[in-house]
Amino acid sequence: MDQFAIVTAFGQDRPGIVALMADSLYQLGCNIEDSCMTRLRGEFTMMLMVRLPQGLDAEALGHRLTASTRSLDLAVLCRALPDQAALRLHMPELPTFMLSVYGADHPGIVAQVARTVAEQGGNITDMNTRVIGSGEVPVYVMVLEIQLPQDRQADQLKQALEALKPLLGVDLTFRPLDSVTF
Amino acid sequence: MAIRSILHYPHPTLKTASTAVMPSDPATQAVAKDLLDTLAASPGVALAAPQIGYAVRVIVVDVSRKKGEKGHGLIVMVNPVILSLEGRKILREGCLSVPDYTGNVLRHEQAVVEGLALDGRVVTLTTSGFEALAFQHEVDHLNGLLFLDRIQSLSTDLFRRKTSG
Repeated sequence: MDQFAIVTAFGQDRPGIVALMADSLYQLGCNIEDSCMTRLRGEFTMMLMVRLPQGLDAEALGHRLTASTRSLDLAVLCRALPDQAALRLHMPELPTFMLSVYGADHPGIVAQVARTVAEQGGNITDMNTRVIGSGEVPVYVMVLEIQLPQDRQADQLKQALEALKPLLGVDLTFRPLDSVTF
Repeated sequence: MAIRSILHYPHPTLKTASTAVMPSDPATQAVAKDLLDTLAASPGVALAAPQIGYAVRVIVVDVSRKKGEKGHGLIVMVNPVILSLEGRKILREGCLSVPDYTGNVLRHEQAVVEGLALDGRVVTLTTSGFEALAFQHEVDHLNGLLFLDRIQSLSTDLFRRKTSG
């Protein structure tokens, strides 16, 4: 049975971070499965699901990676993954929606929006946030991809989100994701 | 004729530029029949010949297979070319030949498509919406292009900064 681990790592953005991480994993006999990496302002952040070689556990991988990426001063964390979590299952096609929320920045926007989505049975499958606008008038923008078990739950979620607008002082749009398969 | 299985990448035919053919050629007619039979048995609205293993420029499109869509109904087109595109649109697209994955691609809302019908007539169609998207996707197949070749951004486009303007 294959063993898997999740690796998260981040460090000051500069050329060569991905190359060093990928090469280190390769040298250790790990296989990069699914991954997601992005830049958050000046930090480059990585999340990787890796398949471990025989005889290397997640804890040992963490130590080895920290050592091999020292030249770029990356913070590295490794966790073993339950086997079934790494299986490539055929995902059921659930109704998927995009939600954009934006408004003057203040604490609590993410928490209240996410709480509302959860209470309505929505599952956040992807999310990005940014602070934009000028220094004096920061504007908060968040974009979420949300799955619902049933299409008919969309109206209720939309109403609950609309009710947040005056409370949070934000604008928002909730819409089905235009997704087509040819 | 026959329902063919829909090829999945990395089958090499999917990355091959297909060749133009004559509608009057019996082989072309046979490919068209296979495409129609396979489309009828598939969950999709359109197919290109390379998806069933023939590297020839034949497509079938029938967006009326999808609820609420009409378009031009069932169209078989030989050697189709896209004459013009208008109205840029980012869309999350998937493909029967690349299962379980979708990506954001740049397409157009309107497409004027020209090709030959199976009886050799020149057909020019002005398509829009879902049908226009289907034609763009299928003509890509004839050029060995998959939606994977057109992915615009891995995540949302909102945060991509323009480099100019």
